[in-house]
Amino acid sequence: MSARRRSGQDRPGFLHRSGFETALLAAPVLFLVAVSALPVLYTIAMSVQSVDMFDILSLHRPFVGLRNYIHLFHNPAAGRIALNTLLFTTCSVVAQVTIGFALAVFFQRRFPGAATIRGVFLAAWIMPGLVVGAIWKWMFAGDSGVVNAILAASGLIHAHPFWLSDPHLALPAVIIANIWLGVPFNMILLSVGLAAIPRDLYEAAAMDGAGSIRSFVSITLPMMRATIAAVVSLGIIFTLQQYDLISGLTEGGPANASNVAQYWSWQLSFQTYQIGQGSALAVLMLAVTALVASIYVSSTRREVVA
Amino acid sequence: MDTGLALLLAAAYLFPLYWMYVTALKEPREIFLNPPSFWPHRLHAEFVQVFVEHGMAHYLWNSCLIAAGATLLTVLLGTGGAFVLSRRNDRMALGALFLVLLLQALPPSLLVTPIFVAFNQLGLLATPRLAVVLAQTGRMLPLFIVLTRPSFAQVPRELEDAARMDGASRSKVFLLIAVPLARNGILVSTILVFLQSLGEYVYSRSLISSDQLQTATVGLRGFLGTNTTDWSGIMTYAAIYVTPILVLFALLQTRIVGGLTAGALK
Amino acid sequence: MYRSTTASLAAGLVALALQSSPVRAEPVTLTFWTIDKPDQAQQSYVLAHEFETKNPDIRIAVKHVDFADISNDAIRAVATGSGPDLVSIDNPEVALFASHGAFVDLTPMIKASKIIDPARFFPGPLASVTWKGGIYALPRGSNTLALYLNDDAFRRAKLDPARPPATWAELRADAAKLTDPAANRYGLAFSAIADEEGTFQFLPWIQSAGGDWNKVNGAAGVSALTFWQGLIDDKLASRDTLVRAQTDSFQTFVAGNAAMAISGPWELSGPIAGARFAWSTALLPVAGPGAPHASALGEHTFGILHTSAHPAAAFRFLEYVYSQEGRDWNEFGMLPSIRNADPKNPAHPKAYATFIEEMRYARVRGPSPAWPSISKAIQSAYQGALTHQATPQQALDAGQSAIDSAREEASP
Repeated sequence: MSARRRSGQDRPGFLHRSGFETALLAAPVLFLVAVSALPVLYTIAMSVQSVDMFDILSLHRPFVGLRNYIHLFHNPAAGRIALNTLLFTTCSVVAQVTIGFALAVFFQRRFPGAATIRGVFLAAWIMPGLVVGAIWKWMFAGDSGVVNAILAASGLIHAHPFWLSDPHLALPAVIIANIWLGVPFNMILLSVGLAAIPRDLYEAAAMDGAGSIRSFVSITLPMMRATIAAVVSLGIIFTLQQYDLISGLTEGGPANASNVAQYWSWQLSFQTYQIGQGSALAVLMLAVTALVASIYVSSTRREVVA
Repeated sequence: MDTGLALLLAAAYLFPLYWMYVTALKEPREIFLNPPSFWPHRLHAEFVQVFVEHGMAHYLWNSCLIAAGATLLTVLLGTGGAFVLSRRNDRMALGALFLVLLLQALPPSLLVTPIFVAFNQLGLLATPRLAVVLAQTGRMLPLFIVLTRPSFAQVPRELEDAARMDGASRSKVFLLIAVPLARNGILVSTILVFLQSLGEYVYSRSLISSDQLQTATVGLRGFLGTNTTDWSGIMTYAAIYVTPILVLFALLQTRIVGGLTAGALK
Repeated sequence: MYRSTTASLAAGLVALALQSSPVRAEPVTLTFWTIDKPDQAQQSYVLAHEFETKNPDIRIAVKHVDFADISNDAIRAVATGSGPDLVSIDNPEVALFASHGAFVDLTPMIKASKIIDPARFFPGPLASVTWKGGIYALPRGSNTLALYLNDDAFRRAKLDPARPPATWAELRADAAKLTDPAANRYGLAFSAIADEEGTFQFLPWIQSAGGDWNKVNGAAGVSALTFWQGLIDDKLASRDTLVRAQTDSFQTFVAGNAAMAISGPWELSGPIAGARFAWSTALLPVAGPGAPHASALGEHTFGILHTSAHPAAAFRFLEYVYSQEGRDWNEFGMLPSIRNADPKNPAHPKAYATFIEEMRYARVRGPSPAWPSISKAIQSAYQGALTHQATPQQALDAGQSAIDSAREEASP
């Protein structure tokens, strides 16, 4: 570690410890602390208190220790929702990154209209989560939904699956819609990363007789490490925040079949006003995010020095 | 060949958008028809009516204003941060990056209550659009920083070091060398932040109490209430909301996204 | 502050008496949150506008808040002292607001009022706004559920729409005859969605069988839920009943994809116009021959938040709403909450007769300050059984214990 740092200092490294940079970095951090850190601390405080929604202004509330957490774990839905959250996040991120990467590589090839057609994919990113939820709910409807109409017309299904009301299909349906939503984001970010890889690397590799698969593995992937790390961590964090879509599609139902932590936390806090338990769940999500964030941060640490 | 495949992929991907437009053009009764029709039997275009009746002009204006404000603030605050984080890996910088990521862990639906309480105490709710801009900036800053950081990381340090040796100040190096060279990444992140901010819903709904200052997403939500679910209206509204952005995007996107393939750096 | 309120109140009363005499007092602005929407000539906006014209000393700034968010927003606002003067709250949640002191106790003002006579309220609507003997909100109107029939479909299935199903068994038999998968038609459309609408739809079934919201896991609850389960398992109703709100379900009836539907009077002020068939209404079927009729009592109520600086002016608006109850049916898609407020020429007169009769059987949800948790427990129970994750008995047992602990927590 210290050796690495020393090698960094061997450069004419003016970039270390300058007031200008500290100011550049301090500006967003201070802003975030002001806007986001206080609400987060407030949430942590509520997670160990007995909270009455009608009394949210005061911080002086009965301290209940871990009672909210214990209630949460004893809730019969807890196991199901934890598993759903894991599935929702993993499947969404893996598929989004894979499809996004495939599309980014595909559009990297220079064919007529490549840039224009790629731009069109961003249309999904423009759509507010609310609208996306409404459209997919529409398309997934069991009787008059267009998804079933297409599947039936192509002979793939005989009976109509009820995507949103069948407990086995509701979560996959939400995941499909979420993948749809996240693909353009991944594709564009990965495209930016791909575009920045110097072409001559590939040319040199081609002269050495490397095929396209070998140059993908030996050039593209290593060069994209920072971008992929960013896309995956952001993907996890964003997926853990996905609320609009679940609210629009299934509201976590039927019978919690598609419920995930972030939606459940909202339900606890704002539907049944068990705000202490809702906050406890939010704190658990914070802990997971802290883990993901630290993995991301340590990956950047390697990359800055490299 | 590739173009054909690309078009096919795009068409499949954009089917939900097509479905939005088709639904908007159907009569309410036909919408619930089973099996669904892929093309409206009778055109039922109420775009002007929906636009006028729902006062969409001022909703859209507020949405644009808030999105522009949040984007501007995010870019101003975040670009420098992204640059520094791409250059330094001391404990302070890594701690800052960690904090930045962690602080956006909770969805707005959970954060909005404490934010509401705090902004109310500070009197910020008297300027509700500014309040939404601040809250939304808090949400977009981490995204912007994390997205933009790799672009700065790809700017060769040798250029900066050389300029520095020639006597350029730190701020000059940042503004005249690093930023221009990372401009594609900055631009793309900026656009993503702007588009995301246009779709912001939770903060606007909770922090803005005057209908005159409200955004288009909240106006849209008005359709989704109980007892009157006017799907044709919802989709018409959504189409009106999305179409101008799509058109603008289509006009500009060769410059915006096309810039990516060019590869700024050789 | 107090003096100016009194002055404007006096001025307002004079103005009311003289219809349109000039008023000198400073105008008071009331803020009013409602689930109504500005663009559809809905009650809150229409009445607020009329009230302003009649009372130039009072302005009402009306804001639409979504049905799902309004309680939550109102609680947050009242907790931080930034709330509106008037707010529209669903009737089962009045107890929550009243028990926390968030609503002004209107009893003294009603006593002093020359316009409002509490004795005129139907018992159900009155009970829904009463908490520990005080009246904390006023019903803006009422609604309840009834059975809608597609008469043409009945005739095609050789059934007589003039003899609608009166018991669950008849409902099931008719639904089976009316269901036609080839024509994409179900027998019945209703809503078992996991929110308050679903609870609203489920309670009448339990009640007709002899149970109620506070006793769900007895034989009554089990038979009601088993009946619902059968309708969906046997495809007499769409499986999407679990995720469709009432209007969405009703739209499938309007489109001809369901031959019967259970919904409220709000469908008559718009959606039903799309029906390309003859239709009629009937009372909700009862559990069996001789079983009691039951229906749910719905609709929002208007209350004054205790943070309001102008409770007297806000109360005058409530008086105006009360005085206009006679317009509820024809203009606002609701039933009157008070006696002798029937419209002279009701639109859809037969449906009006059905709904008015059904109102006699409409029961209050609660009242309990823990209603949101109780309702959630009921929703989890029916959704659990309808998705076969539990038997009706198991699901309702779990629901009952959640209801019991929610009630216990609410009344320490």
